[in-house]
Amino acid sequence: MEPLQYFLPQVWFFILGLFLFLYVLLDGFDLGVGILSLTASSEERRSILMTSLGNVWDANETWLVLMGGSLFGAFPLAYATILNALYLPAVIMVVGLILRAVSFEFRENADNKLVWNITFGVGSFLAALGQGFALGSVFEGIKVDAAGHFAGGIWDWLTWRSIIVALTLIQGYVLIGSSYLILKTSGELQNTHYKTATIATWTTLAGAVFITVTTPLLSGQARALLFTSPMVFIFGSIPLLGILLIWLLLQSLKNREENTPLIWTFLLFSVSFIGLGFIIFPNIIPPSITIYQAASSLSSLVFMLSFIGFLIPIVLAYNVYNYVVFRGKVVGDS
Amino acid sequence: MQFLSDTVTLSRIQFALTAIFHMLWPVLTTGMAIYLIVIEALWLKTRNLDYYRHARFWSKLYVLNFGIGVATGLPMAFQFGLNWAPFSESVGDFFGTVLGFEGTMAFMLEASFLGIMLFGWERVPPVIHFISTILVAFGANLSTFWILSANSWLQTPAGGQFINGKFVVQDYFQAIANPFMVNSFLHMFFATLETSLFVIGGISAWYVLQQRHAEFFAKSFKVVLVVLIAIAPLQIFLGHLSAEQVYHYQPAKLAAMEAQWETIPAGTPADWSLLAIPNDRAQRNDWEVKVPGALSYILELKPTLDQPVKGLNEWEPANRPHMIGLIYYSFRIMSGIGIFFAALMSVSVIQWLRGKLTGEAIIQEKWLMRGWIFAAPLGYLAVETGWIVRCVGRQPWIVYGQMRTVDSASHIPPGEVLFSLVGLGSMYSVLLVVTLFFASRIIRKGPNLEIPAPVFGGQPALGLELAQHQQDSRPVEAQQ
Repeated sequence: MEPLQYFLPQVWFFILGLFLFLYVLLDGFDLGVGILSLTASSEERRSILMTSLGNVWDANETWLVLMGGSLFGAFPLAYATILNALYLPAVIMVVGLILRAVSFEFRENADNKLVWNITFGVGSFLAALGQGFALGSVFEGIKVDAAGHFAGGIWDWLTWRSIIVALTLIQGYVLIGSSYLILKTSGELQNTHYKTATIATWTTLAGAVFITVTTPLLSGQARALLFTSPMVFIFGSIPLLGILLIWLLLQSLKNREENTPLIWTFLLFSVSFIGLGFIIFPNIIPPSITIYQAASSLSSLVFMLSFIGFLIPIVLAYNVYNYVVFRGKVVGDS
Repeated sequence: MQFLSDTVTLSRIQFALTAIFHMLWPVLTTGMAIYLIVIEALWLKTRNLDYYRHARFWSKLYVLNFGIGVATGLPMAFQFGLNWAPFSESVGDFFGTVLGFEGTMAFMLEASFLGIMLFGWERVPPVIHFISTILVAFGANLSTFWILSANSWLQTPAGGQFINGKFVVQDYFQAIANPFMVNSFLHMFFATLETSLFVIGGISAWYVLQQRHAEFFAKSFKVVLVVLIAIAPLQIFLGHLSAEQVYHYQPAKLAAMEAQWETIPAGTPADWSLLAIPNDRAQRNDWEVKVPGALSYILELKPTLDQPVKGLNEWEPANRPHMIGLIYYSFRIMSGIGIFFAALMSVSVIQWLRGKLTGEAIIQEKWLMRGWIFAAPLGYLAVETGWIVRCVGRQPWIVYGQMRTVDSASHIPPGEVLFSLVGLGSMYSVLLVVTLFFASRIIRKGPNLEIPAPVFGGQPALGLELAQHQQDSRPVEAQQ
């Protein structure tokens, strides 16, 4: 094969990873705040939680649409096969995302706001759950035939391990949501989220340890990948870095720092995400279909890259601008 | 109930349901976004607070619709992979690329600047706010462009060829600018604009009729009317151009639109069917009213045709659209509404020129106002029926002449599709009722005419703490 036939799918693997990563980080805190809102004790608190997301939820969710559209264009086979395999979790996720999105607008106009707070929280939970099962299936692998089409059953995504992965992802979202709220709120509400952040750190850690230990134990392929040089050094350093970041995170929570918890949480997610990327690469439909098999034609990859690649920095810039405009604490929406 | 065990039929029903329901929301917001630009420009130019209050009032309806639009757009983004996997795989090189462009270029732009447009009145300088409103509208209409380019490609595939069942692109620009693209985009662009203008006009007319803030809403009514003078006739013309293209590129669809079973040969006058009861099984119309010679004028502006109008019986039943009655009447409903809109606009303009819409007089125009209220929901109907003509009329093809719909559905158990169909269907039913309830509540509540001009750099409006900003540099009277 020509070098480009390796290079371009790799570039697109990276871009899709970036979109997905930004989605997980940004909609992660969005969904996390949604799940946390189920525990908020008063109308005032719930209203602050919703207001903290008011200007960003839509853009955050849009990263998923970007990822979906680009996956369709760059790896059509993967877009089709993965969605067929994950039909039910994807439907759960979509239903959850619809529910939470409309809750924003309905709550704004409703007398009985509590109803829409509950649908918002439940929707956020369902969306996170569907994504967790999808992540679980990535670890489990997707059954395909020789042509790369889905060849498994409709319940393949539901295993005891995928349940644990899903619960862990939900914990992770709660953690990132708590850290975001520490940054955006003050007083009693902020105190509450120092607590939820600390609890979520431990529960996320428990899940992450479980996944890290069982992945090489259960999968021969992962074992082969993890314990060969030079990968062993990368995979060896990821848990170490993770532990360091968790220690830093817990310290920052203990010291009641406002900005650093979110930074450490983001970095923790980054490290885990990079680890995940190394496990999956060069596959796009784990465990057997590679990015080279699933990629669309070279001309298509080039054409997409020349537009989307050029736009990525601009898109990032105006997203940052949006956060800058609305920086500062939220103190209620009356 | 055999269709319950047929994945293809269920997938088609689900696509129709999700597309028809999704369309209801962006059709308003993409058009209304342009109206919001006009209103905000008037505010910035005249410093008349009424325009600012209009902007605030209509953006309440805007954001309600926008939220539902974003939410119901998600199933659209994933449905191609979920339910149409062979299609996705086969045409992903082009179709997926376009959807990727839509997300990156259009959706993100719209989503990011929406926050500033809605909540940023006191957080950014007026000019930045104005630019944000423009970018939201630009993003929304750019997504219309990409979707219409993708859908037009399904109608008139270009820019490459199918090799072993996979579409190989040779020229992306040719594929994007396929034969249907320009007309279809323009027709849809003006459809969203016209629909939202009639919604705004209809709601304004309702207030005028109720004598609530009549003077305030006479303003929005007139802005709408001025824009419509150009758009309503133009839209009929664009519709005509689109029909001519169908005549050339998709003769089977044209035959279905006209319920024409037998071919009308070239060189003869063609009758135009005004009303008919098409009978799909017997392959003829059971009853029909015709206008002699009219179709030749409609299609070619001549008494006799240069090209034949092919009848449906030219094709094997497996190679032509079915549900002829649906296509035939959808087309008539859409065109009828377009003509009614132009007529209503003309009558209103005449009344305006006669001075009947000035000052207090507008309250006396009761029947005209009722006409506008009646017209408010019709744009939606025209858009939906237009899309039914376009996509049901394209059958049995998913990619016209190249790939069949029956070969395009995912090979998944029908129960799975039924599950998502029932789930989405019941959720959408609730959503529709709740949204209409809240929309009517916003309208009944009316605009806030007490709302002061935005103060940039002063006290925050949202109760958000803010770093120090520079002082407002606008004239004192604008700051109130």
